Amino acid sequence: MSETLRQSLDLSLFWEFRYTLLAGLAQNLYVFACAAVLALALALIVGLARLSANRAVRAVSTVYAELFRNTPEFVLIIWVYYVLPILLSRMLATKFNMSPFLAAVLALGVAYSGFLSETVRAGVQSIPRGHSEAGLSLGMTRFQILRRIIIPQAVRRMLPEALSQFVSLFKATSIVSLIAVPDIMYQVSMINVDQMRPLPLYTGAALLFCLVIIAATQLIQILSDRWRKRGWA
Amino acid sequence: MSAAAHPPAAILRVSKLRKAFGYHEVLRDISFDIAAGSVVSIIGASGSGKSTLLRCLNYLEEPTAGEIYLNGEPMGFRVKSDGKRVADSAANLGRMRAQIGMVFQQFNLWPHMTAEQNVAEALIQVKGLGKAEASKIAREYLAKVNLLEKADAYPARLSGGQQQRVAIARALAMEPKVLLFDEATSSLDPELTGEVLEVMRQLALEGMTMVVVTHEMGFAREVSNRVIFLHQGVVEEDGPPEQVFGRPTSERCRQFLSSVLG
Repeated sequence: MSETLRQSLDLSLFWEFRYTLLAGLAQNLYVFACAAVLALALALIVGLARLSANRAVRAVSTVYAELFRNTPEFVLIIWVYYVLPILLSRMLATKFNMSPFLAAVLALGVAYSGFLSETVRAGVQSIPRGHSEAGLSLGMTRFQILRRIIIPQAVRRMLPEALSQFVSLFKATSIVSLIAVPDIMYQVSMINVDQMRPLPLYTGAALLFCLVIIAATQLIQILSDRWRKRGWA
Repeated sequence: MSAAAHPPAAILRVSKLRKAFGYHEVLRDISFDIAAGSVVSIIGASGSGKSTLLRCLNYLEEPTAGEIYLNGEPMGFRVKSDGKRVADSAANLGRMRAQIGMVFQQFNLWPHMTAEQNVAEALIQVKGLGKAEASKIAREYLAKVNLLEKADAYPARLSGGQQQRVAIARALAMEPKVLLFDEATSSLDPELTGEVLEVMRQLALEGMTMVVVTHEMGFAREVSNRVIFLHQGVVEEDGPPEQVFGRPTSERCRQFLSSVLG
């Protein structure tokens, strides 16, 4: 028992392969960054569409959010990688190739845009109507009010919730090895095939994920504290 | 005086205005003219439609029927050459709204901007002024409401009375032709209403055209030169304060006044 524990905590093997493993982590960060930008852009559009006065726009955006919020990322990533190219190839009548990286970004970006769109909607809804009416009464356009009054305030209110969504998104990048994106989990299993020492390798990977997320969360905490000191709600 | 020789032109004209929310009629057939430079108080029990009427004047509520004219220009609609009425463009409506200032019960300052930025925002976005010029004008108007020293404070650091004065400065900076006050002192602690009423009194003296929905009977009686009593969406009494407060013709107005004046 104590021997097993010692083995899992002996990270010297992890250190030995540090460059390969860091290259893997870089892939996770890369997938995360691209998926996060995609998710945020889609979430902004879908979140605002869900508040639209137009019933059809509302219905379509609600279906979108519900669909992707309630599909496991695991299933989605496989679907995008294996099924989507076939569908697209048939529809466009050309050969359509999907790289693992693109599939990972698309699947995770779309999945998390579903969650984030709820955060955007709640954030925008939490801004009192009077703030818009004040803008209207001064002659501002709806777009100016959205850009200058609503979004800057909503973003600040959304930050804690969005942060936890982004933490989940980063964790979810650990499944991209499923479609052979050479991320850290992929590298760990490759090294394991060679070295046959899963305990330190997987423990190291777990610790590394944890470390990155804690560091990032702390950094954002410091930033938002600085904002608060400037008097923003 | 020469007022009779040169009757003041109506700057705001309300004609056969109706507003219903679903089946509930809040305003029924309201018509009146407001002369430039006059201070009109609108009084009435809660639910009488005063706030809805005020919000219709700058089209925050779209009237169900009837027309509003600002300086003879129709608000919210255009009449085409064939006589048909069409909804006005958002840009035109915005241009008209910029000429009608509004002060809200809840102040509605934007909390992520300083007092000065609150005042400067519409000058930049709507009037297209440069940052430096907008900021200079913003500070002039903050000085006018005695809050220049709070120019860099965020609303959360200001008292209710100070917030409302910033909101008045924000509306004034656009140089509106008419200023609407929607129960501007109703959410203030009693000791803070005075500073806001004082600013309103000063504006009245300077000749600003004002339409004031208020529970402050003292203000209605002493500062305004016309009082409109609204009851269930109808104008029941309309005249100079001496008449409305002194010898109202409507029984309902008498009842209302005796209930609020005690």
